[in-house]
Amino acid sequence: MSGQVNTGEREYLRMTFNERIQHFLLLSSFIVLILTGFGLKFPEAFWVKWIVFIIGENAFEARGIVHRIAGGVMIVASLYHLYYILFTVRGKQLVRDFWPKKQDITDFKNSMLYLIGKRETRPKFGRFSYIERMEYWAVVWGTIVMGATGTVLWFENIFLKFTTNEGMDIATAVHYYEAILASLAILVWHFYFVFLNPDVYPMNKASFKGFLTREEMEKEHPLELEEIEGVETEESKGMNELDDSKNDNIEELIIDEGKKETDDVSKKETEVMVKNKTEFKDNHGEDE
Amino acid sequence: MEIRNKNILKVIFPVVLITGLLIFADSYSRISKGNTDICLSCHEDNTLTMEKDGKKIPLYVDPDRYKKSAHQMAECEDCHENYDPDELPHSKTPSQVNCISCHKEAKSIETNVHSKVKCYDCHTRHEVRPAKEFAKDQTRNCLSCHKNRDIQHYSSSVHAKNNVGCEGCHNGGHTVKKISKQETANVCGKCHGGHEKDFNNSIHMSVLKRGDKNAPTCTDCHGSHKIVRGKISVESEACLKCHLDEEKFPGDSLGSAKFVAHYKTSIHASIDKEGLLEAAGCVDCHGDHMVQNPGNPRASTNHARLMETCGKCHKDVVESFNKSKHGKELVKGNDKAPTCTDCHGEHDIKSTLISNDFSKLNLTEKCLSCHKDGKIPHKNFKGEEELITGYQNSVHYLALKDGNHDAPTCYECHGAHEMESADNPSSKINKINIAKTCGQSNCHVNQLNDFTGSIHESGVSKGNKDAPTCNNCHGNHGIVSKNIDNKQEKAKDLVKLCYDCHSSVELVERNDLPTQVGESFKESFHGLAIRGGSREAANCESCHGNHNIRPSSDSLSTISKKNLPQTCGKCHPGATEVLFTKKIHLNDIEKDSPWVFWITRFYMFMIFGIIGFMIFHNVLDLRRKLKSKKKK
Repeated sequence: MSGQVNTGEREYLRMTFNERIQHFLLLSSFIVLILTGFGLKFPEAFWVKWIVFIIGENAFEARGIVHRIAGGVMIVASLYHLYYILFTVRGKQLVRDFWPKKQDITDFKNSMLYLIGKRETRPKFGRFSYIERMEYWAVVWGTIVMGATGTVLWFENIFLKFTTNEGMDIATAVHYYEAILASLAILVWHFYFVFLNPDVYPMNKASFKGFLTREEMEKEHPLELEEIEGVETEESKGMNELDDSKNDNIEELIIDEGKKETDDVSKKETEVMVKNKTEFKDNHGEDE
Repeated sequence: MEIRNKNILKVIFPVVLITGLLIFADSYSRISKGNTDICLSCHEDNTLTMEKDGKKIPLYVDPDRYKKSAHQMAECEDCHENYDPDELPHSKTPSQVNCISCHKEAKSIETNVHSKVKCYDCHTRHEVRPAKEFAKDQTRNCLSCHKNRDIQHYSSSVHAKNNVGCEGCHNGGHTVKKISKQETANVCGKCHGGHEKDFNNSIHMSVLKRGDKNAPTCTDCHGSHKIVRGKISVESEACLKCHLDEEKFPGDSLGSAKFVAHYKTSIHASIDKEGLLEAAGCVDCHGDHMVQNPGNPRASTNHARLMETCGKCHKDVVESFNKSKHGKELVKGNDKAPTCTDCHGEHDIKSTLISNDFSKLNLTEKCLSCHKDGKIPHKNFKGEEELITGYQNSVHYLALKDGNHDAPTCYECHGAHEMESADNPSSKINKINIAKTCGQSNCHVNQLNDFTGSIHESGVSKGNKDAPTCNNCHGNHGIVSKNIDNKQEKAKDLVKLCYDCHSSVELVERNDLPTQVGESFKESFHGLAIRGGSREAANCESCHGNHNIRPSSDSLSTISKKNLPQTCGKCHPGATEVLFTKKIHLNDIEKDSPWVFWITRFYMFMIFGIIGFMIFHNVLDLRRKLKSKKKK
């Protein structure tokens, strides 16, 4: 609740504490899994030798244990996330916002046109752009694949009976290539947008602080900002008319093709901050 | 009286003639001719004596023996000059009987060793026997004076038995002589010509010629008078009499006491003591008369001739030694090749392996003293150059040092006398024989049993040079145990060991072996784990066994379909009923496991496609954003 309207520069909630913990668990287990996983596959690599040198002669055994612990952390975190998106208000909203839309195709097309110089302006993105949706679902996919194959390899003596040795070979191959794909995707896609990206350089601190500045909102999430401000305007208009209970139940807005969705705003997590109500307009990318 | 002997006449005639001339010259003669009978009339009384200086002197002359003696024709006064028969005593100044005045031929007696010996000491006084008769008994005559014990033993000597009398060596008669050291050989050589020749070539003779007082000649070994036949007279004691006396060999290491004294502790000497005459004495090795410095090529103890010398007794040993590499080199004239003494020692030859001096440890030192400088390198199983001296770090040597006498040293693998280089098919270390050598009784018998029938063994016995036998995996000399303690290192070494052959394209093709086994293992979890330093992960040996490696088609194989559950079950207890539907070593993934193949393809496509797109997208994004920032 640090970012306040009162402090001059206004801050916008991006990730709640709960979400930041989830993100932290994911990123830490992910990094550990990468190190301990590729450490097995490339035992002669220089960085593996350094780690082995530091840890000592039991490095290999430690590697296996740490990899399993990290895998366990990631699976538990994923299961919690599943619970989160199924049973919490904010979680439900989150997955709804991440859900791919037809708009993404248009956004992607326009974005590419913009990037290659055929368009003057960037499409405006809401809470999540196609970039972040891609990221999210890639992580979902990767976690499922890695979790499944990892479990098979972990309990090889049990699974060997059902899978035969070929099953183990398949699991090994999938686990390995998916790991490469996932780490490269994180490196190239995620790390670019949260580190190297000139808009946020040197780092997008939302995953630690939980907030974005107005400037960042303008650059990355202009539609969301517009919406927030729109709502605020509405709110301030009828401030006195609206009571707390109404605040909890602000009406959902029309999503593409006229479909309506209800956005539940978690009261607890939005005590001070303005809620992230989003409304997608059909024509939001076409502003020139 | 009949004159029977012309020789006597020859002696008598001049005596008579001279006597006559003297009588003629001195017409005044108090003793007339033919007085002998008158003399005898008194002197035939055997109780007749006279006293002189308190001593009783017998004056008896046996008339019979006188009449039979060689002087029967001579008259008393021929010898006893200046005697007056009427006076008593007959002469106041009795003169010595001068035999030489008649016997000019015996004049030499006055100047030789017998100069103080009176003629009658040998010839007696009045019973002088004719020369021929006298000669028969000469030796006995000599011995009657020469009571010296050594000389007395002559009677039992081989010379006495063969009628070689004193005069045989000492000339006898009136020219009797002492035999000097220098001429001894010459004297003996009159009869023993062959031996003299040998002796003249010996080191003893050459020292003698230098005038060394200590140099021995015939008599020093054989004795002078008590010469007995053969070996008995020249037992080692005779040699050791001198050769144990340090003072006799100043500055000489070869003949010195220190060097030779070791003989007394040798097996040759100790068996001799027990009365077994096969044991070798000095002469058996060094020769008898022609003892030579070993440096002399003619010496029986010369480096090149020792095999021959020792082979006189040790026939079998030397026969096999002659076929050995050492023996062949010796024959070729390689003076660095070792012969008997180089390993067994010279004088201090000990019974093999029992004594400390010839212990396995000492033997090792002996072999390594030549094979020490790495001039004969071998490749060990790690591909490094291995030196023979590496043996000193091997488990074998360490066990030996710890007192395990069963632990092998050089000869146990290479053979002792029959040692040959490895390329000789009959060599104990020839590829075909190595397994047998390592598996000899008391050694690695069980391992040999396992190895027999294995795929490697069948290759070796077919003469396949690629097939490995014991040393290809375990190394040659430097067989070490250090990696056995360190499982991590052991597994890595083991994989490398197998990998070196099974990943060699040439070797795999030549023998039609499965390809890619090494690579596929290295990329498997087991392989990765070992590369990463796991202590538990399976290495080649865990599944395939070690000595008893067999192909999966063999029902005795650890990896035959029937045995696989058990083999894998050692580590994967839940996996005993596993159905192994696919090969373990995927050497051709497309064929062996299409699933894995297509998954790999799919991911390759995904990785290159998706990541490629991402890079493309982000590079454009970066460019665009930087551009728009600049504008601002």
